[in-house]
Amino acid sequence: MMNRLRLARKIIQWLLLAVAVFLLITGLGITYYGAVETISFGLLTKNLSHQIHTAPGLWIFFVVLLALHIFLPFIGRKKN
Amino acid sequence: MKRKTALILSSVLLVLLAIGGCNGGADDLAPAEVREYEGENLSSINDFRENSIKGPQYVDINDYQLQITGLVESPQSYGYDEVISLFPSYKKVVTLYCVEGWDVTILWEGVLVDDLLAAADPMPEARIAIFHAYDGYTTSLFLDYITDNNILMAYKMNEVTLPAARGFPFALVAESKWGYKWIKWITEIELSDDEDYQGYWESRGYSDSGDLDESFFD
Repeated sequence: MMNRLRLARKIIQWLLLAVAVFLLITGLGITYYGAVETISFGLLTKNLSHQIHTAPGLWIFFVVLLALHIFLPFIGRKKN
Repeated sequence: MKRKTALILSSVLLVLLAIGGCNGGADDLAPAEVREYEGENLSSINDFRENSIKGPQYVDINDYQLQITGLVESPQSYGYDEVISLFPSYKKVVTLYCVEGWDVTILWEGVLVDDLLAAADPMPEARIAIFHAYDGYTTSLFLDYITDNNILMAYKMNEVTLPAARGFPFALVAESKWGYKWIKWITEIELSDDEDYQGYWESRGYSDSGDLDESFFD
């Protein structure tokens, strides 16, 4: 049980980091579109960055991950 | 090892955040600007965020000509002073809303695009005006919209001559449209019957109409 919880925490940690970085990059893709478009070999255009960055689903996923990341460590903690 | 990886990733994240936080704000441009007009508070001309496709353009006013071309009976070409002296000027307070999320309320002063076009005698089949800028940027607006809304081509903002970064010599005040319709450094207005024409951002997925009350995505 504890091992599964630890694994879940790890997955959430890394997913949260990935989503945060993704949100950051797409945000920069709106404001610094020239640089981001060049770095991404033209894949991440301003329009695409905008659509991804403002997609409600991504933000909901981010908030859920953040909430799990904050509260999961309290689950299964033994009381002294 | 994992801790080290996490530390490295966190550092990269922090650096990206720092870059994101650097606004690249413009230098102080004009201390003489007005900040209130008829009881309405105005933004500063420094409150804009520079996001043009090739950075601020510095137009040599001695060589500058504004061309009115396309579906017109008599194509016109005006120097900067000619535009200001030949056509009546108007003022209005209009807010620019950028798709990036910021907005500025400015007192604009300029000439009516409609007056400029009328002087060139548009052909009956002309439907849209394609605006060309010094940096290669283009956008288009329907002639009906330009006429119905008294659209200005501004040469002053907050009682100060348009600075280079804000579109000197002329910038469009495309009220009730998203910011990408507010073309700066205008060099040519071309009349066309091609209602499907797409400008720079429009051809990259942004809405053709650019109406504020609609999504800016196509």
